[in-house]
Amino acid sequence: MTRDSLAQAKAAHPAKDHPEQSYADALKQGLSQAMELDAGVIVIGQLVDYAPGVFGSTTGLAERFGADRVRDFPVAESAMTALGIGAAIAGMRPVLVHHRLDFMLYSIDAIVNWLSLWRFKSNGQSSAPVTIRAIVGRGWGQGPQHSKSLHAWFAHVPGLKVAMPATAFDAKGLLLESVFGQDPVLMIEHRSLFGLKDRVPELPYRVRFGRAVVRRAGDHATLAAAGNMVPFALRVAAQLAEQGVSAEVVDLRTVAPLDHETVCRSVAKTGRLVVLDPAWLSFGMAAELVARVAERQGRSLKADPLRICHPDSHTPMSSALETVYYPREADAAKKIRAMVA
Amino acid sequence: MGSITHEALLKAGPYRDVKVSKAEAGLAKELYRFMLRLRLCEEALAREYHPADEMRCPVHFCVGQEAVPAALSVLLDSEDYLYCHHRSHGYYLAKSSPMDALFAELYGKSTGANAGLAGSQDISYHANRFYSGAILAGATAIAAGTALALQMAKTDRVAVAGFGEAATDEGIFWETVNYAALAKLPLVLVCENNNYSVFSPQLKRTSVDNIAERVRSFGMESTAIFGNDAMQVHRTLKEAVERARHGGGATFVEAYTYRWSGHYGPASDDLVGYRAAEDLEAWKRNCPLTLLRAALQQAGSLTDAEDAALTKGFEDEIAASFHFAKSSPFPVAPDWHPLNLATATPQADRLLADVEAGDFDAHQELVQAKGY
Repeated sequence: MTRDSLAQAKAAHPAKDHPEQSYADALKQGLSQAMELDAGVIVIGQLVDYAPGVFGSTTGLAERFGADRVRDFPVAESAMTALGIGAAIAGMRPVLVHHRLDFMLYSIDAIVNWLSLWRFKSNGQSSAPVTIRAIVGRGWGQGPQHSKSLHAWFAHVPGLKVAMPATAFDAKGLLLESVFGQDPVLMIEHRSLFGLKDRVPELPYRVRFGRAVVRRAGDHATLAAAGNMVPFALRVAAQLAEQGVSAEVVDLRTVAPLDHETVCRSVAKTGRLVVLDPAWLSFGMAAELVARVAERQGRSLKADPLRICHPDSHTPMSSALETVYYPREADAAKKIRAMVA
Repeated sequence: MGSITHEALLKAGPYRDVKVSKAEAGLAKELYRFMLRLRLCEEALAREYHPADEMRCPVHFCVGQEAVPAALSVLLDSEDYLYCHHRSHGYYLAKSSPMDALFAELYGKSTGANAGLAGSQDISYHANRFYSGAILAGATAIAAGTALALQMAKTDRVAVAGFGEAATDEGIFWETVNYAALAKLPLVLVCENNNYSVFSPQLKRTSVDNIAERVRSFGMESTAIFGNDAMQVHRTLKEAVERARHGGGATFVEAYTYRWSGHYGPASDDLVGYRAAEDLEAWKRNCPLTLLRAALQQAGSLTDAEDAALTKGFEDEIAASFHFAKSSPFPVAPDWHPLNLATATPQADRLLADVEAGDFDAHQELVQAKGY
């Protein structure tokens, strides 16, 4: 498919004609189209070729593209990631899939010591465009080994891109952008988003890195959120609206690069910054964003910045404790109201 | 050779089995030329390293370990991939990468193979499909990934990973062996067993010194050899490379050898007391270069005059490489961003459409308010 034929396809199918798709289906369609567009695209991960298909995101791909291109892998994440690097160096476009990000941590050496610096140490002669999909769990007692996001770790390392799509549209567009980009990408997908539906273009399209988007316009406070905190922020904004507080919600979409410009523009209007980050409070993405805004326009803030994050504690199993561990919308709304008052 | 170990090799004493037949004279000479060039190169670098201190990066010299790179230099063509460990210079030259860019890299110059970003232990030469790295066990799996790509492209190219025996202490090595055997990848894993992880000997780290046997138990072709007999190393690796080229799957080759210098730098680190002086002397008597030179001379295929002419030629090349490196400019302060991330996305530009997000997800507050 060329760009022209893509443009034609787009013109022939205006947005309203595109069906609603779930986040999981959008991921599956993105993978499927990537595999059609380039024979070098392969999907590797545990159980990717079975019917459940990693929560529906790879279902049917093995039947369609064969076991060679949709590879179940031994329980050896470390080698799996390094294999992806080696395949990418030789020109392929591997997509690696982890049911939980926590398992991916076996491959920290491959990601940090090899993948992130491959381009750098070859002085730009060689690159390794590997896409790593890692899913983060929450609820039903996922506990401390099935719920870590750790996007800030990877965003801290030069040479890696980190995406956190919050919508089905972004899930497909960022996935395709990752697969056909030139850099390694960690795409962190929150399990709770997989059932969310919205209109998704049927053609293969891109969502570029480092371009945050305003999901809801408002005047009194900027709510900058990533991943599953975007729907959270939107619900909080809806609550606040009922109480006369107008909140603007910025979906960061990617954590590395982090689009602080869009956040700064919003804060220039609202004068107040709230960062909603689905991760531990300390040393996280929220701190980075607060720092960047403060460096740029700290003196113009009308209130001290606010971070809404997880406590500095591992995730409990018990549902009673989960309820108090994760941020609650009513609490967030209350804090933001106090900030605006 | 049945149960080859470092202990058994020391006990066996001087090696006398290097054989060069008439038909092999050309090959033997090629291996000899490679090893002589590498040895002279390493010795010259070692002399310049201190006290000049102009090469300001860790250098792991490979004096005594020339045979494996020599064999690979004649077995791999330009389309094959070679990954190796931090003791990289032999492998770099085995892929016909230029000596002057190697020297310039060690001096941190802009004309270096990686413009001074990598140095000795991370050097690569992408045009020739050569890569190295200091956290070395990971490269075995990276090579397997390249082998997977070559297999899927249905080529007869191969990927080779060179590493030391300590890399087999790491879990990723065994994950790689398992998958390469399972998927019958066109991969050659060549382990230079020099017995030491820096100072720590193999039998202090593992209860048995039978790596090749363990690899075989994973279902991979596997063999252990005396690694300073360049002819035998070549025969063994040739079989492995051809097996990989013709769909026969992966092979593990364990080449027993010994490093003469300290772990890094040209100076001896024997004052640490981790190895016996007589062991080093015994291995020096089994020098790969000396052994092959003697066999060539015995076969009447190398005269003293020829040997001297070869030496002179390489010394001139080395002098020219030093001159190139020393007279090249240092890199200037770069823009860091494009060194770490791509500045263009040609494939995405070609394949993907830009669509207006607003056309599709303008009503996220309604969609997402439903939540989970």
